Amino acid sequence: MEAHEFALQARINTQTLHAWLEAGWLRPRRDDDGAYYSEIDVARAHLIHDLKALGINDEGVPVILDLVDQLHGLRRLLRGVLSATAPSG
Amino acid sequence: MAADPYKVLGVDRDASQDVIQKAYRRLAKKLHPDLNPGNKQAEEQFKEVSAAYDLLGDADKRARYDRGEIDASGAERPQQRFYRDFADGGSQYTSDAGFADFATDDVLSQIFGREGRAAFRMRGADLHYRLVLDFLDAINGGKQQITLPDGSVLDVRIPAGTHDGQILRLRGKGRPGSGDGPPGDALVEVDVRPHKVFTRKGDDIHIDLPISLSEAVLGGKVKVPTPTGPVTMTVPKWSNTGTVLRLKGKGVPRVDGSKGDEFVTLRIMLPEKPDPELEKFVAQWRGTYSPRQAMET
Repeated sequence: MEAHEFALQARINTQTLHAWLEAGWLRPRRDDDGAYYSEIDVARAHLIHDLKALGINDEGVPVILDLVDQLHGLRRLLRGVLSATAPSG
Repeated sequence: MAADPYKVLGVDRDASQDVIQKAYRRLAKKLHPDLNPGNKQAEEQFKEVSAAYDLLGDADKRARYDRGEIDASGAERPQQRFYRDFADGGSQYTSDAGFADFATDDVLSQIFGREGRAAFRMRGADLHYRLVLDFLDAINGGKQQITLPDGSVLDVRIPAGTHDGQILRLRGKGRPGSGDGPPGDALVEVDVRPHKVFTRKGDDIHIDLPISLSEAVLGGKVKVPTPTGPVTMTVPKWSNTGTVLRLKGKGVPRVDGSKGDEFVTLRIMLPEKPDPELEKFVAQWRGTYSPRQAMET
């Protein structure tokens, strides 16, 4: 989806979108036409909303996002390890 | 959702809005599904807590609920799809920083390949060889060559003290890997030929040393072969057949740099051809010693 539609779904204005992009909190995939947003970016924006609602400040948000991203990397790795070591059949 | 929202949040009915917000934040930090990606129960509890807070966090709604105008299910949130539902399969956000330091391990590298991070890669197979070594080459170490079936030559460094049956691993000398996977190893099993003089027991060398009758009775200096060349050893007076002398540090080199010992077992040898002079001398010798005393019954 385009930036405009994304901002609507993510419940943020254009200014906030630019700030979050600038800070690296959002990293949409890019093609020749520029940034292209998908559902994961919407969900990530909602997560950022939730974190702020929990009282996490702007310094804390990237720390948590980074740890959550590492956690998903580890979960993916663990799943790969388990499927590689599971007896076949 | 029928549960009492006050109980869900764990607050009293007369709690202030501030207390309710704090209770919600405390629970939400613990239960947020994106902070608990593997915990299914957390999502259910989080929804319950969120719904309760939607009701009680808003002073107007809370007042209406307290007056019985709306019930606890009146404020259910629209279905929220969480970040974890998208992130779990891997995305542009997924980070390998949590395990980048052990990503060089072969198994993990293969998993990455399998997960589509890179093209297929697999470590090459190990190759097995046998190498027959002379006794002293195995003990003293050195370089050997193996000629492979395809005519190429493999250089093998033999560590000092190599023992029979030991397997030497030559990293990266096995079959090439697939993709950019590393090659396998060459595993060389060592056969050590026996020696005509030395016997090896662990890190020690054993040897039978023939000595003459006069060396046995009067003592003296004799030359003894060791794996690193002959040394001079003193045979004490009255040394019998079967006496064991130790040459410290003349055995097999160990990995830690120390060495085993050489044990020399003495054997008294009479001259191979009869010696009339010796016969005449012994005939005059009258001993009372009976070497078989202990055997008598």
